[in-house]
Amino acid sequence: MVEELLYSQAGLLNFGIFFLLATVLLLVVLGFVTYAILAERKVMGFMQLRQGPNQVGGRWGLLQTVADVLKLLLKEDAIPKLADRPLFILAPVIAFAPAFMVLATIPFTDKLQFADIGVGLLYYIAISGLTTVGIVTGAWASNNKYALLGGMRAAAQMISYEIPLVMSVLGIVLLTGSLNLNEIVEVQKNGWFIIWQPVAFIVFLIASTAELNRVPFDLPEAESELVAGFHVEYSGFRWAFFMLAEYVYFFAMASLTTVLFLGGWLPLPFLDFIPGAVWFALKFTVVIFILIWFRSTFPRLRADQLMEFGWKVLLPVALANIFLTAILKELLNIF
Amino acid sequence: MTFSGEFLAFMSLALVAVIGGVLLLNLTKVVHMVVALVFTFVSIAGIYILLSAEFVAAVQILIYSGAITIIMLFGIMLTRHNDSSEPKTGRLRKLLLFLGVLGFAFAVYIGIYNLDIEQTPSDLHVNNTEQIGIELYSKYIIPFELTSVLLLAVLVGAIVLAKRDDEKEAEKE
Repeated sequence: MVEELLYSQAGLLNFGIFFLLATVLLLVVLGFVTYAILAERKVMGFMQLRQGPNQVGGRWGLLQTVADVLKLLLKEDAIPKLADRPLFILAPVIAFAPAFMVLATIPFTDKLQFADIGVGLLYYIAISGLTTVGIVTGAWASNNKYALLGGMRAAAQMISYEIPLVMSVLGIVLLTGSLNLNEIVEVQKNGWFIIWQPVAFIVFLIASTAELNRVPFDLPEAESELVAGFHVEYSGFRWAFFMLAEYVYFFAMASLTTVLFLGGWLPLPFLDFIPGAVWFALKFTVVIFILIWFRSTFPRLRADQLMEFGWKVLLPVALANIFLTAILKELLNIF
Repeated sequence: MTFSGEFLAFMSLALVAVIGGVLLLNLTKVVHMVVALVFTFVSIAGIYILLSAEFVAAVQILIYSGAITIIMLFGIMLTRHNDSSEPKTGRLRKLLLFLGVLGFAFAVYIGIYNLDIEQTPSDLHVNNTEQIGIELYSKYIIPFELTSVLLLAVLVGAIVLAKRDDEKEAEKE
């Protein structure tokens, strides 16, 4: 259905349909964010031998996040007196808008996708880089030393880890011969890329955790050193926007990992009677679980270790992987 | 003139790009200027998409979003906090400048309005990433390699410069 729409004539009606679909996607993502936060707290609770939220909304705390969000929306909108007012207001918007924009290219199933762009993979990486600008802007506009330190760390970290992230994906691009996410999934019918590119998968997983600013790479908001990092001065719904951007990226990055390495909507052999959407959801959930698992198991890195690890370990490994992939591809072509 | 969706998209993107550029020149704080620059660069990427050059658009955002963040950090680190530039020009100079700009705009308008650009149908927009790759690695391979060598030299040079400072400071202490 969406595929027909993508190639149909532009017009006011189609604009309306797309607008409606985007709104539905936004609501779905908001629902995901609500329950991802709950799932994170629950899973971390169980891993740390405690209960997690269990008061609001039954035994499983199903309404806890809803209550939290309501509280955030009802809070007083406080802007510090010495903050840079226009930038302080603009920063959460700059941080959030790209987070939602990247979702457009991700193919959830073979029929459900919002934009079939030729350079889909590059689009994702390019647009997600824009969020850093929002974070640094917010950090500077807060006029607070902890916020600025957090913003600086965010910029250094996101730029350093963007490079291994792109490099690790290049192996897949070499094997596929395309940057289009649909074609990348189609190629994986002969075996998921996690089998063909295991090194790339590990590098990608580490670099994506760093890009998401999650433990063990959560230096921009290291609460034991920087109070709350770049969003110290933010409260209420502006703070909620930063959190929302973070969790929408969580959603997007898990989807991208699924698409690139776990075969997207493709089923396991002999199990193709289960629809693609279910497969996508299952793989997606596994990735989300792994990321939450990371959060409750690893200690935070020091800032200098973070930089050294990115430049001296991840980048050479990713480059070696590209080299090896290219050689193997040529050898296979000869024989 | 037809009033199509493309025209609408172009007009809004161009407007944002121009407003961003004007704000970049007129704002007084460094960080404000850089944020204005972000809007200009992103809307120029949007214009590339309208021209079906999707690869160039993605690369434009990919490279400049990193570069702008770095510019912003330099702006924060190398200038004094709350420092802002002050306008120094007199009124006569402003008037003369305005007349000059008006004349230039008029000249460009005259030059462009009746310019007849021959439109040749091309298939450059089909698979343009692939086409750029093939051109770059077959026809323009030597310039491409030379550029990469130059960039490598710059990279090594930057590392050497940054390192030397460290050692000198250590010796002083």
